[in-house]
Amino acid sequence: MIPAKKIVLAEDNSILSLLLKFKLEKEGYKILVAENGKRAIELIEENNPELILTDVMMPFVSGLEVISHVRNKLNLLIPIIVFSSAGQEEMVLTAFNLGATDFMSKPFSPNELIIRIKRLLN
Amino acid sequence: MEDFYHIIVNLFFNAPVFIKITVLLIIGFILAITVLIIYLKHIRRRLRNKERIQATYRKKYESELISYLYSGDGDGKINSEQQGIINYLKKCSHNPLKRKILVSTLLKLRNEISGEVADAIQNLYYQIGLENHAAKKLKNKKWNKIAKGILELTQFEIKEVHDEIILHINHPRGEVRKEVQMYLVKIFYFDGLEFLNVIEHYLSEWDQIQLIETLQKFENQQIPDINPWLKSTNDSVVLFAIKLAKIYNQSESKDILLGLLDHDNILVRVNTIDVLNNLYVTEAVPILKENFSKLSIEEQIAFFSMLENIHHNNDIKFIFENINNKNFEIKVSANNIMKALNIEKLNAVMIEAFESETSESSDFITIAS
Repeated sequence: MIPAKKIVLAEDNSILSLLLKFKLEKEGYKILVAENGKRAIELIEENNPELILTDVMMPFVSGLEVISHVRNKLNLLIPIIVFSSAGQEEMVLTAFNLGATDFMSKPFSPNELIIRIKRLLN
Repeated sequence: MEDFYHIIVNLFFNAPVFIKITVLLIIGFILAITVLIIYLKHIRRRLRNKERIQATYRKKYESELISYLYSGDGDGKINSEQQGIINYLKKCSHNPLKRKILVSTLLKLRNEISGEVADAIQNLYYQIGLENHAAKKLKNKKWNKIAKGILELTQFEIKEVHDEIILHINHPRGEVRKEVQMYLVKIFYFDGLEFLNVIEHYLSEWDQIQLIETLQKFENQQIPDINPWLKSTNDSVVLFAIKLAKIYNQSESKDILLGLLDHDNILVRVNTIDVLNNLYVTEAVPILKENFSKLSIEEQIAFFSMLENIHHNNDIKFIFENINNKNFEIKVSANNIMKALNIEKLNAVMIEAFESETSESSDFITIAS
């Protein structure tokens, strides 16, 4: 049996992360939820995931810092999808400069997210 | 102990009046502080309990919502499991605190998600009957309750309450009026601007900016006829319509805009010159040039900005006359136009103007002699 691919989801909106966790687990992924950037970094270091989903704005450590840590400190090349809200366009550009792979603007469709994840992981 | 008490009492009664008052004041303050500390502790405990209850219910409703969303059969119909959740949430919605938590939970997810899930949340909102609770707030005597009700109905895009909401368009509180305007525009897009026909209060600059920002987000940018608003008796509506004319290039309203050059409100006149400039309405130039001396300084400045954009050979003499205008901005505009003109063209025009003046003078001399 092939082990489920691990995804770290860093999102401070508890209900959104719960919804995505349900949806992605249904698709056969193992989801590790972090409610802030600090916890996300811990989960990434401990679990070595195949993909990272991160919100830009989070308490303690932002999504941008998570990307920077993954790319510059851990030197990981795993895909990173960034979630951004309206008015965070500049942050998205910074995220790409730091090494983000893709971004999704909120409100987004969970089905579209799954398509993007599948494309990146296959 | 009793002796000590008697000594204190005797000391107090034998003390001078000033000391007595001071002691009584100290005792009073100590009592007041003690009561306040107890009261604050009580409030803190109550708030913490409330927070704990809210967190518990929030968590409960979040998991109920997720269960509702994922227990569907995929055919869009509500199954027994979903109906059970609806019934439970409906029961909870009768309690104001629980209803508040429930609404915020639904919004927390709805604001982040689009597509099928967002539609399912909207459907759940209807199924629980939360729109009726929000609509009830519209009849409340407190303005803040009305504003909150309208805000909630806007967030959940409830169209059915349009007639009840528009009744508040001339509410004495600006906050309520602002919510009504946002409801109409967010839900009914450009058609929502119908409120401009009935609004009696001043539409603040901030309100106008917010309305325009909302309107510009829509895919369909087909603007309705703005002419009735340009003719409105409410100056703020006219100013807003002028902004719309500028943003959406409403050249069809050219004639009405030209008429606004004689409006009583100076701000309307200045903004009209600006929009006429933007729409490149050349007919405005001779009108303004003819009445230049009667215009206010703001209008004169706006007119010269217009001339920087629209001018003909026959305007050059007029511009040249104002090259040393007392107003710095007009002077700069006049110089900018002169600088932009081709020097040969300018010379030709000046010679022409000079010759015409000379011939007029020679005619006068001939007649006089």
